[in-house]
Order: sequence, then structure tokens, then C-alpha cells
Amino acid sequence: MNAQVAVSPTSLIDQIVVPGDVVLDLSNMTNQTIKLGSGLRQESDAISAMRAGKFSYSKPNKYWVESSHKRYIPRTEDHVLGIVVDYKADNFWVDIKGPQLALLPGLAFEGATRRSIPKFEACTLLYLRVVKTNIGMNPELSGTDASGKASVFGPLKDGFMFETSTGLSRMLLSSPTCPVLEALGKKLSFEIATGLNGRVWVNAAAPRSVIIVANAIMNSETLSATQQRIMVEKLLAKISD
Amino acid sequence: MEIDREDGRRPNQLRPLACSRNILHRPHGSASWSQGDTKVLAAVYGPKPGTRKNENPEKACFEVIWKPKSGQIGKAEKEYEMILKKTIQSICVLTVNPNTTTSVIIQVVHDDGSLLPCAINAACAALVDAGIPMKHLAVAICCCLADSGYVVLDPNKLEEKKMTAFAYLVFPNTTLSVLPEVEGEPVEHGIITSVTHGVMSVDDYFLCVENGRAATASLSAFFRKNFQQTQGAV
Repeated sequence: MNAQVAVSPTSLIDQIVVPGDVVLDLSNMTNQTIKLGSGLRQESDAISAMRAGKFSYSKPNKYWVESSHKRYIPRTEDHVLGIVVDYKADNFWVDIKGPQLALLPGLAFEGATRRSIPKFEACTLLYLRVVKTNIGMNPELSGTDASGKASVFGPLKDGFMFETSTGLSRMLLSSPTCPVLEALGKKLSFEIATGLNGRVWVNAAAPRSVIIVANAIMNSETLSATQQRIMVEKLLAKISD
Repeated sequence: MEIDREDGRRPNQLRPLACSRNILHRPHGSASWSQGDTKVLAAVYGPKPGTRKNENPEKACFEVIWKPKSGQIGKAEKEYEMILKKTIQSICVLTVNPNTTTSVIIQVVHDDGSLLPCAINAACAALVDAGIPMKHLAVAICCCLADSGYVVLDPNKLEEKKMTAFAYLVFPNTTLSVLPEVEGEPVEHGIITSVTHGVMSVDDYFLCVENGRAATASLSAFFRKNFQQTQGAV
């Protein structure tokens, strides 16, 4: 049996890591403040990965493991699409594809008072903002932005909602505009709401536009930018015949 | 005196490994793992809110369901479920999602020896696919002892029947680290689970453990490469 001596890599930034890989050595970084994002765990002087994915770094001091899954880990200030499950004692219980049901206070809407809480039935789709996340507690949501105005939040009527992975939602929300949305936007007109929790809602005047947009987005997960544009063009060409 | 194995492998040689992740549509994480002809499918659902009765609500809870290829669920399946549950509990970080339950369902597709290690590897790959936080991965291997005192790794069903004793061993994976070489025992020298069948002497058992540990490097490298290939494509 040959014993292989592994050489310690000097840096794992932008590398794929698996759980257990030690990615940062804190004893070399004594005077810095660093922010640890998702997927990292501290064990005394070593930071190790808890999830498998790409270890990323953004200046000045943020580190995280980027990975795409079917479930969502709630983070504050994320915009998510939630589905109402229940209404008890002035609070809505909303499913956001996370480990716990989320709490949406009935008063967290613009112009809501004790007497005029909006009445959402079970299975209503809402576009919401995550306000509070603490370990062990249900995350809290709100239907207003930080200044109390409704802006883009609230119920989404008509249209079609489908589920995607969190990685695809992040790609759809990236700036500059994601290639698949740009290519679709040139020929079709539609409304889209993307939740970072892996839910996307599309609405358009004609049902066929909705279906084309939904299928194009679902197919674009593993494609590169040019492949996405080619795929959208082929799809649109087939339909316009 | 070398042992002659029927399929021509050396005593320390593993069967061809194959792993695919994200193969099932509904579960939140899924993987299939095959070692030679033994193939196991694992699916992970969760974390879901609420824990089972009698479980500590300050920690995440795991439940394992083992589905054999055919026949009713009996004591052997319950034993596999318990071993898998304990192994998973020791590799996952339980404090990140307290008061949640994660279900792991194992479906045996074909059993050609070394079934429990194959299932543990599949479950680990499925947990990675679902994004469940883990301290490190688990790599499992079956080591058996022949009459002549030789240790043979990854037996198939016929070889397993002929052996005097065998042990299923689960080790933590070999990890990449930016830390410089550390003094003392690195993490890989721990052992997570050990299940033995048959009679073997203490020295023979330690020989099995040593041989099994040496094979973890190739299993870990396989898992890492498999993961990098699928991620690289995205």
C-alpha cells in the first residue's frame, strides 16, 4: 500500500469543499474581524465546512459556502414567497420551505390595524420579507419593507407558481439580468416574482406565455449564459410556428 | 501466501464504485451508491418541524426507514435502522436546527455483500445533497477475516458466506485542511461505528481496522471527485 502524503493547500477559496474540510485557520488572522456566512462552523481556532459547495470570499471579510438545495435556510432581509398555512390569534403561519413554519404578524402590513387585518385564506401566495431569524425559533416575516410601506410585498393574484432550487433563484435575481430572463423579455411580456427560498411566480396575459417562461426557467439551471440564450430562442421559434 | 478471490481482486481492492446524487424528484436530497453489484438508494426529507416523542427538542432528530428489496420488515431491518441512526447522529451537527426531524429512507436495490456499508455511504451522500449540516462525512467499509488469518476488503455475497468473521467499519473521511501539519492524531484516525459478526481475535480485529482505515482515503477521494464533477458542471 502506498502512503500518500497530502500537501496542505494554502487556500481553499473558490474551491469545492465537502463537510469536514478546514477552510480557515484563525491563528493566522488574529487582528481581523471576519463574518462567517452559511455552511461554516467554528471549532476553536479552525473554521470548517458543514455543507458541500464552493467556498467563497467577498471583500472585505465575508466567507461562506455556496450551495444549491431544495430547502431554504431563512436569512434576515431575504425576499421570499410564502404560502399561508393557518391563521391563529392575529398571526399567520406561513410555509417558506424552511426547517420551521414562519410567523407573519397580522399587523405587519401597510395600514393594518387591529380591526382591519387582511384576511388571507390557507394556500394564499404572499411575497414577504424575512425580518427575524433565531436558532430554535420560528422565523418572522413582514409584508412591508423596513420603512413600513407595502412596496412590492403582499398577495400575488393569478399567475403560476413553481418550485426551483435555491441556486436557481439566486441566479434569477442576480444583476446584471440573468440571460434567460433577458432573452425571454425581448419577445414576451410577463410579470415575475422570485423568492430566495426556491419559489418563482410568473404571470402574463396569455397562459401560453406563462408556460413558456416557466419551462424556460426550469430548464436553465445547469446551462451557461450562451446555452440559455440558445435554448430560449429555440423554444420561442417552436412556438411562433 | 496470497488469497485467490473469485473475481481476481487483490485482498485490499474495492469493487468499482458509482454514486449519483439528486436522482429523485420529490425528496429534498437523494443519492444512489453502488459497490460492484450491491446498490442502495437513499432519500432524505427534511428538516421538518417537530420532533418525535421522547426525543430531545433541543437537538435535531433523525429517523431512518430501511426498506429491504423483498419480504417483510423484520428484526434485521430494525437493527440496520438503529445502526444507521446512531451513525448519522454522530456525523451531523445537531444544534443547528433544533426541534426538527429529518427522515432518511434507505431502499435496497440489490444486495451482493457489504450491504450496510453501502447503505451508510448512500445515506451520507444523500445528506450532503440535502444540505444537512455535518461535521464530516462517513465512509464505510466491510472487512472480513478468512480462515488463514488474511483480511479481505469489500467482499461480495459468496465471499461473505465463506468467511469466519467480518466487520463493518465506519470512519470519518479524509479532509482537506489549510492548517499546517498538526502533531498528534488527526481526525481521520477516529472510528465512528463498528459492527462485527462471527468470532475473531483482538489482534485480527485491529488488523481489520487498520486495513479498513487505509481504504478510507480512496473512498473519500472518490466521493470528493464525484462531487466536484457534478458541481463543476453547474
